[in-house]
Amino acid sequence: MKKSDKKKSDKKNKLYLSDKQPLSTVGKLMLFLSYIVLFAWALIILLPLADMVVSAFNGRQEQYIMLNDNFQFSLKHFDYLFNETLYLSWVKNTLFIAIMTAVITLIIVSFTGFAYSRYRFKGRKASLMAIMLIQTIPTFAGITAYFTMHSVISSIAPFFTRQMMLILIYAGGGIASNTFILKGYIDSISTELDDAARIDGCSSMQVYRLIIMPIAKPMLAIIALWSFIGPFMDYLLPRVLLTNPESYTLAAGLFTLINDFRTMNQPAFAAGGLLTAIPIVALFIVLQKQLVSGLSQGSVKG
Amino acid sequence: MGKYNEFLYDDIGNEYARKNLYLLELAKLQSKLKTAKAEEKLEINDAIKKLIKNKKNNPYNLELSSYKSKEKNFLTTLNAKVKVFVSNLDKSIDGKLKKMEKDLFISTEKASFYKKYVPLTHDAALAYERNCIMRDQLPEIIQKYKTTKDELTNAKAHLKQIDVQNEKKVKLEIKEFASKQKAIFNEGKLKLKEKRHSKLISDKALKNGIIELQKKRSEAINLKSYESDKKSTKELIENKKYVLNKGIRRELNVLKSNISDLRRKTPIELSKTKPYFSAITVLFPGIGQLLNKQALKAIVFAFATLFIYVIAIPYALGFGNYQGSGISGLISLAEGGKKVDKSLIFMIEGIVAIFLLMFSAALLMLSYFDVKKVEKDAMKGIRPRNWFESYSKIGQEGFPYLVSLPALIVTVFIVIVPITTAIMLSFTGMDPKHQSKFTWVGIENYKLIATGSGLAGSVFWSILGWTLVWTVCATSLAIFVGFMLAIIANNDRIKGKTFFRVVYLLPWAVPAFITIMFFSIMFSQNGSITTLLDNFFNIQLTAKTDPFYSRIVLILLQTWLGSSYVFLLSTGVLQAIPGDLYEAAQIDGATEWQKLKRITIPIVLFQTAPLLVGQYTFNFNNFSIIYLFNGGGPFNPSKYGNLAGSTDLLISYIYKLTMENQYQSIGAAITIVISLGLMLFAFIGFKNSKAFKEERL
Amino acid sequence: MNVVLKNIGKKYEGREEFTLKDINLEIADKDFCVILGPSGCGKTTLLRMIAGLNSITEGDLLFDKKRMNKVPSKDRDIAMVFQSYALYPHMTVYDNMAFSLSMRKERKKVIDERVMEAAELLQIKEYLYSKPSDISGGQRQRVALGRAMVRKPSVFLMDEPLSNLDAKLREHMRVELVRLHKALGTTSIYVTHDQTEAMTMATKIVLMNDGKIQQAGKPDEFYNRPENIFVAKFIGSPTMNIIEGIIKEGKFVADHGLIEITPSPNDALKLKPFEGKLVSVGIRPERFESGGEFGDTFSATVDVVEMLGKEKILYARLDNGSELVISTPGHFEYAVDEVHSFGFDVGAIHFFDTVTGLRIN
Repeated sequence: MKKSDKKKSDKKNKLYLSDKQPLSTVGKLMLFLSYIVLFAWALIILLPLADMVVSAFNGRQEQYIMLNDNFQFSLKHFDYLFNETLYLSWVKNTLFIAIMTAVITLIIVSFTGFAYSRYRFKGRKASLMAIMLIQTIPTFAGITAYFTMHSVISSIAPFFTRQMMLILIYAGGGIASNTFILKGYIDSISTELDDAARIDGCSSMQVYRLIIMPIAKPMLAIIALWSFIGPFMDYLLPRVLLTNPESYTLAAGLFTLINDFRTMNQPAFAAGGLLTAIPIVALFIVLQKQLVSGLSQGSVKG
Repeated sequence: MGKYNEFLYDDIGNEYARKNLYLLELAKLQSKLKTAKAEEKLEINDAIKKLIKNKKNNPYNLELSSYKSKEKNFLTTLNAKVKVFVSNLDKSIDGKLKKMEKDLFISTEKASFYKKYVPLTHDAALAYERNCIMRDQLPEIIQKYKTTKDELTNAKAHLKQIDVQNEKKVKLEIKEFASKQKAIFNEGKLKLKEKRHSKLISDKALKNGIIELQKKRSEAINLKSYESDKKSTKELIENKKYVLNKGIRRELNVLKSNISDLRRKTPIELSKTKPYFSAITVLFPGIGQLLNKQALKAIVFAFATLFIYVIAIPYALGFGNYQGSGISGLISLAEGGKKVDKSLIFMIEGIVAIFLLMFSAALLMLSYFDVKKVEKDAMKGIRPRNWFESYSKIGQEGFPYLVSLPALIVTVFIVIVPITTAIMLSFTGMDPKHQSKFTWVGIENYKLIATGSGLAGSVFWSILGWTLVWTVCATSLAIFVGFMLAIIANNDRIKGKTFFRVVYLLPWAVPAFITIMFFSIMFSQNGSITTLLDNFFNIQLTAKTDPFYSRIVLILLQTWLGSSYVFLLSTGVLQAIPGDLYEAAQIDGATEWQKLKRITIPIVLFQTAPLLVGQYTFNFNNFSIIYLFNGGGPFNPSKYGNLAGSTDLLISYIYKLTMENQYQSIGAAITIVISLGLMLFAFIGFKNSKAFKEERL
Repeated sequence: MNVVLKNIGKKYEGREEFTLKDINLEIADKDFCVILGPSGCGKTTLLRMIAGLNSITEGDLLFDKKRMNKVPSKDRDIAMVFQSYALYPHMTVYDNMAFSLSMRKERKKVIDERVMEAAELLQIKEYLYSKPSDISGGQRQRVALGRAMVRKPSVFLMDEPLSNLDAKLREHMRVELVRLHKALGTTSIYVTHDQTEAMTMATKIVLMNDGKIQQAGKPDEFYNRPENIFVAKFIGSPTMNIIEGIIKEGKFVADHGLIEITPSPNDALKLKPFEGKLVSVGIRPERFESGGEFGDTFSATVDVVEMLGKEKILYARLDNGSELVISTPGHFEYAVDEVHSFGFDVGAIHFFDTVTGLRIN
């Protein structure tokens, strides 16, 4: 490179190219402070989680997790988790419940969302409002009744397990808010599309199936995802409703590892928690935009 | 005696002249009577009486009855003629065609018969025009049916004689074609990739391009595959079948809707003046509709009758119950029953019975008003809807109800019945000593709560106090932290935003029960945080045994958990704020602080308000964190009794009451109390939110 | 197929007044009928009623003598092009165009032939496998047209299909639509608020306002013989000059007294019953002359001159300040603030009854 060229490029590098105005000293200080705050909070978040990860892999940890300087990489807690506990069947149960919840929610809500968005029928506003209000009542107001209802139904139809009851509760509990969200999304789809489809020869059912549902897929996916994640996150209902450790979900099952003296094993809990959290966290990171927009859609768009 | 109008009306209020001269005269006299002076009244009344007395000999009525008898004769001879006509039809034709041919024959005959009587009655006019429509439109449909049928037969015959040899050849050709298409596809793909390499097109364009190529290829192969004689003949058969079925039905629907339009425009004339069908059939939905000659509705409502008398009422009387005894079980609550009888089951079955009865009552009302409306309309001149009209109306307007049905069933089963049960339960005395059998105690439980007395009620107010403190502190702190972080991280000059966002997402993404449980471990006596604090700062944190520290730690923990959600939410909103707003403010001379105060905060708050309200209600009922962290402890029996710990929220207290100590009734009462409060709170929140106001519900 | 509307009326639930009332219209087979009107006049509602998307409150809608009032859209054998095009975003262009036929279980081969034919005609073959979101507005417009054409419907409905295109493209598509209509010969009903589209494309124009038909007929009738003041003002750009006044001794005298017009003998006959009554005169900007047959002239000050190339538009002011718009050939020289004398082409003057707004001559 020639000298003059170099000079030029030097000059180029020194040029102030940012669109923004240069910072004053106070501004620089503020920026520095901002970084400190952000990093501090990041540390606060990461340290406990890191501790969990480390504990899960630390072969030196016994039954109780304690702070100790010794670290020895080992998979023995995972080994314990898979072989000594019912972890795998918990995973299976949770997946079963989550998938069924998502499917049932989708079926029900896709219909109601469509109906509430596209049709003006009697009792429309009142019903939605009523359910929205009723749903502020905590789910477990009904728990005494759920027990009894389950015992009555299962004695008539033995295949109706407690897990199914749980699925129905999850699916039923989300109907109003999910309908509200989906309705908002479908409202944003031009009704001219419906008109065009009707002229092209579609019945109401075909408009729903061939036109609206494919277009509403992004929102349906979000609703499905939320309903799917719900059972992973919930502790209360499985704990109350499921009595047999064989039928526990992950949340209820993992809790037995830290609160029951017979099965106490905190590092195994850390390991199990880690395994449970990883796929969900991955999902959240990949889909964070959609998930957040799905959340706010309910409020902003209605 | 009933009153008659001089004119007949249709459903949009158009006037039609009466054709029944007798009724017309009567109506005229009646309207005269209204405006007449006192002395004339007598005379008019006499005239009316005379008219009614002579009803049988009234010239119009005579003509009408002669028409009726002629019509009867005509119909009997027509019947015979139709039989002959049908027997002369080709035997090989199918039922559908036969019916259409028959209809055509009948309509031709009828049209010529009724033509003469058009001026006499509206019914005859309707019959005439209706048959005219059928006479005019049916031949075309029959023709179409016949040709399509012939084509179908030919195609079917062709399918049997397909050249197998040729078929094989074509199959090979198609295979070859497919591989050629694949080559073309690959070539196209390569070209696109080259273009991408030389940066002529973007990644997205490349992806779209490949998708397009793929579609093109599969479309081409698909099209080619129809060159197979077999496949295309099969397709032809499908198509013809469709035309025969749906296509013909479509044309018939046009015909039928033409007829139904006619019915709307031709009034009906009745001598009836009181809607008595509705009154006498009120208890039996379906019969009234049958009397109104609405067969489809009658069938639908017959199911309602069936439901009422076979399911709802017997169930309410105690038949077919699992254990209870219908409504009466709700009153007795299995008192004095067998040992296995449970009050709770009696109660739930009683509630179900009540719902069934309410539903029945609604059906009865629906039917009553339906019959009454149709009758009243008919007296005005509006014809009752026929089968086709009812069917298309139900099909159109019933759709949203039909598709919402699953939601309704699940909601009733999962939400309404359990909540009603909880409400009922709160008026009973279900406690550890009265588990299988309990009785009504009135508002006893609520009294206990209000006065703060009794085993369970005594701690209610102190728990409520802590619950409120907790809700306000934990939520507000989380909102504050999340919001502050969002604003700081949203600064354009901050680098590494992705990193911060991913990290800040974690508390939300990791299932809360895992983190709470793990924090619980870390804060325990030998846990890492306790140890750390002890080692470095020499602080003995007794988070699990000291109520005060326990509460502080819980609030901080919830801040840790909840700020993540608020952060993500506000970041989303912040990014959506248009930049020119800030630029405009900057030009107007606003400082950073003013911009924050006047633009950022109001916008974010406005947009996220309903969700933030949701956060408060969420924390009010945040069972997991309390229960999983320390089980509501530390326990302090002198202050909180044996049932609750010092960090218990109402929700976890209810849990302990109902699930762990079986004080179901007082638990239910507390649930109802807090639910009412929350509902009010939520209602105000929803009502003021933008979403609800602008909602075009 | 011929389309007949008899006394069609529309009333929305919860409204006192009829939105549309007494619409009578006959559209002959192969007509290209343009329904024209300002926004909110009910033209789109009328079109949607013909399509079966809105219900008909009263009256008859007949397609070839069959009443269609309650027949669902899908059974009416119509096709419609929407203002927003309403292309199904999740389907390719090809699938969009094939959709209606595949709903009817048409044979694959027939579908392909029809789609290809339409694509050829509309020059969209290259985009057949793209999604609607990947093509430009003009192309989408063509796809929407193609989708309607593929059906081979008996009636073609279009709801302001060109309003989302830019001026150049619109001009181009106008010509193409006329060509298409010539080729297909399908009865078409076209809704627009743009008078240029109406004048250039229609074989029949229906001008609506306030839920009523103002005038129906051939395009040149609209320009040369507007039935009432509304039509006169709506059609033509720049707008027709309307001068209010009365008839005095067989002559028209403007309210401000600055203009007097002697009508032609034919018009004078028709104006006889209006002696002494309020009458408005309408004159198109290009129908002013320097002298005039009967020597009725007025002088006006040129206020603003708009140079459009082939013509100049003068905004002239009378002494009392009222304004007239006058169009003159582009090569005439006018300067601002000059005073000129203008006359009228007596054969081109429209007389209206000011009270009822109806045409007199």
